[in-house]
Amino acid sequence: MIVGDLGRGEFDKRLAGPGLRVRFGPFNIRIGSPLDAFAGVAHQLYAPYPLVEENALIDFHVRIASPRGLRRWVRRQACFSLDGQSPFAPYTIEHAFPAVEWGINWCIATRAHHLLMLHSAVVERDGLAMLFPASPGDGKSTLCTALVHSGWRLLSDEFGLIRPEDGLLLPLPRLIPLKNESIEVIRRFRPEALIGPAFYNTRKGTVAHVRPPVDSVQRAAETARPRWFVFPRWIAHSPLDLQPMSKSQAFLMVASNAFNYEVLDETAYRLVAQMVAQSDCYSLCYSDLDEALAALDELSRSSRDE
Amino acid sequence: MGNCQPDREAFVLAEAARSLIWQAWDEVYIIYQASSAETHVFNETTALILRSLEQGPLLAEGTRNRVEAALGLDPGELVEEDFAFALARLEELGLIDRLDPVSPVDDRR
Repeated sequence: MIVGDLGRGEFDKRLAGPGLRVRFGPFNIRIGSPLDAFAGVAHQLYAPYPLVEENALIDFHVRIASPRGLRRWVRRQACFSLDGQSPFAPYTIEHAFPAVEWGINWCIATRAHHLLMLHSAVVERDGLAMLFPASPGDGKSTLCTALVHSGWRLLSDEFGLIRPEDGLLLPLPRLIPLKNESIEVIRRFRPEALIGPAFYNTRKGTVAHVRPPVDSVQRAAETARPRWFVFPRWIAHSPLDLQPMSKSQAFLMVASNAFNYEVLDETAYRLVAQMVAQSDCYSLCYSDLDEALAALDELSRSSRDE
Repeated sequence: MGNCQPDREAFVLAEAARSLIWQAWDEVYIIYQASSAETHVFNETTALILRSLEQGPLLAEGTRNRVEAALGLDPGELVEEDFAFALARLEELGLIDRLDPVSPVDDRR
């Protein structure tokens, strides 16, 4: 059963009552909220995600609700909480949805230490994964969104989750948050992409969430093997430049991009070394999505033919 | 250290260096040190100093000769500052120890 099987009434009832139990990749999450500002967007954008059966363990219990006290009425706000604790300052109520999305990412990044977590977008084709470790502003999400609407499967826009037991990547096909100009870029590039409402003046500027293609959500249990590391950088008016990168440099960039390299110590070292050793590594400067996608398609084809 | 003759100083591999995990790519060595849970990036000179000391203590001069030979350099060709910097860095990381001056060192190895 998926979220979309629930009518809006039942959906709201669960959110306001026992919580909506939904599965995002390897994580079971219970979301509670009495806020219409959250429920309306969530009902649309979470539609393809599976519901978690009643007896399954929940990894994170999160909630978005108005804080108690006068502020509840004077200036309506929304507080994100995990297990009853509020780690962040309140958001304006209009930003309740992006607050939950960021909050869930925060839960994963600060707690899922049974996995190595790279700050990276990951897409897959034929079982082989291409990773895009990057810093904010490097065009990772824009490129990732374009790829997953052009024949690649989304594993994650934000987390490269590596299972220590076998070094395989676990999918976490959550919504892709586009920021500022990227929203219009993707609307023009792939008009068929399902993009939620724009949230203005958030802490990260204007944000709108892309719902991944349904196929990516349905195949969230299919792991992938790391095959390419591409370090992207969007530069306005830049010609396409895809250059091989030394493995030692790639190692350092991957390790420094990990959320929990220090936490996992030797395990992280071994996993990153193994991934980099078995992958081809490149830097990519781009400004034109069509050019970038063509280059990455060619890269994946030529590597497979080797 | 008083009447300093750097080349007559001797070094030995520290215990922490016996359990390093090595990954070499081109001329760069990415090394994990379990005792400090740190990852280091070493150049060839630094890595070869560690390799030279794996068989036992050596005078700095002997170590340098081995490193130069491994790098294909003529004796004395390795830049002294680079070699001294690498020794100091390895000592700082606890991967090599400076031996007491009175300790006998067989530099004929």
